[in-house]
Amino acid sequence: MNKVTTINLGGTAYQLEEGGYDALRTYLDTATARLQGNPDREEILSDIEAAIGEKFRALLSSHKTVVETKGVTAVLAEMGPIEVDSGEAANQGAGGAAAPAGGTGPGAEGKEQATGRGGTPRRLYRIHEGAMVAGVCNGIGAYVNIDPTLVRLAFVLLTMLWGTGLLVYVVMAIVVPEARSPEEKAAASGFPSTAQEFIRRAKEGYYEAMKGFPDRKARREWKRRFKREMRAHAAQWRHNWYSYWSDCAPIHPGMGFTLPFLSLLQGAATVLWICALISLLATGAVFGLALPASVPVWVAALLLLIVYGLLVGPLKAARRSCYWGLGHPRWAWSFVFLLDAVVWLAVVATLLWLAAHYFPELRDAIHGIPALAHQAADDIQAWWKGK
Amino acid sequence: MMSVNEKFSAIRKGLLEFLVLQIIAAEKVYAADILKQLSATEFATREGTLYPLLSKMRREGLLDYEWKESEAGPPRKYYELTAKGQEQLRDTQEYWGQINGTVKKLGRK
Repeated sequence: MNKVTTINLGGTAYQLEEGGYDALRTYLDTATARLQGNPDREEILSDIEAAIGEKFRALLSSHKTVVETKGVTAVLAEMGPIEVDSGEAANQGAGGAAAPAGGTGPGAEGKEQATGRGGTPRRLYRIHEGAMVAGVCNGIGAYVNIDPTLVRLAFVLLTMLWGTGLLVYVVMAIVVPEARSPEEKAAASGFPSTAQEFIRRAKEGYYEAMKGFPDRKARREWKRRFKREMRAHAAQWRHNWYSYWSDCAPIHPGMGFTLPFLSLLQGAATVLWICALISLLATGAVFGLALPASVPVWVAALLLLIVYGLLVGPLKAARRSCYWGLGHPRWAWSFVFLLDAVVWLAVVATLLWLAAHYFPELRDAIHGIPALAHQAADDIQAWWKGK
Repeated sequence: MMSVNEKFSAIRKGLLEFLVLQIIAAEKVYAADILKQLSATEFATREGTLYPLLSKMRREGLLDYEWKESEAGPPRKYYELTAKGQEQLRDTQEYWGQINGTVKKLGRK
């Protein structure tokens, strides 16, 4: 059994086996890279896509609706690699040569997508894969297309300046959403999100075709057919989307109730962490444990962050699997998301209020934050002047 | 040693444009027709080469296309020569004739 992906070639939807889809993706990416700088790039690509579609159609029949991987490979071999004659190759420069035949490197591809007009708009997300803490640096790295290690280094350096980096990091970890769906992951690094990119190209082909029809009747017919195909494609795509999510975990209705409880725990951990951080910055001690004089404050703050990450990691994972476990329909998700967020906020607010109410030192510490910030600014100024 | 086939690959590549002009001059065709007519010859080629070539020739004003409905599937692009394309074809044919003559004549007494 093989998973099937639906794609749109020249306005018609085709279902491909996943392996075939990957091969096609690689072929088209390579073609795009080789045609870098060619004024007819869009047109050639849409011609190529239409030709591939026509070959796929020849492989299908009423009782065979999916193009198998070996079918796709055969069609791509028939198409042959994109070759631009030498006269043109001169002005396309390194663009074509830089792209290897199989699986373009994320760096080169990302750059091209950021500048090329066909690129997906890039968005800032936290990226969990390969993250150290919450994926903030990883996300920034992908967004501005540099090595995440450099971003991490920058954050650590910033943290040495009165914990600015840490503060920024925490705020970003809370504010910046995490890339969860394939589309979000694509947008995080600027890779074209396949479905949207193909729809865009299909639309371009649509208007191009509209220009060519001589009379209104033919035009209307073409419009009608195009719309119908796009609708079918969208429906299929939604279907795949749902099955993608429900594939991730077995469906279990009880998880809807576990979720707020997990959020409660996570909220408590977050509040504890915030309290500890505040008390560390204000008094140099965490819950009565004084910091040894040899350990700088920022190291302690970093340690706190790591402890918090360790504590909350499993909770987060459990919550995520709960979300997935809920399965469809979609409205149930949004309801649980909302409930979850409300419970989380309520817990955090209540605990903070309670803490501030019963521990005067903490309240004083919170009141002392502005003064502390002033102090920090003054110190930096003095240090700067002293230099 | 290089085979004749390999030695002539650059020449074949250069002549492809000439042959495409000649095929399109005979009747309005779409890309798959062109490939089919070429497939039985020494000039057999594939979409990956033909489409960039057709686009380039269109950009140079040698040919133009129009969309036509097909019985099965979406409309297709049918190519035809422009006046400039026809002129280029005539020039090339004439030049080709000269080259051919030279090849036959030289070295023979």
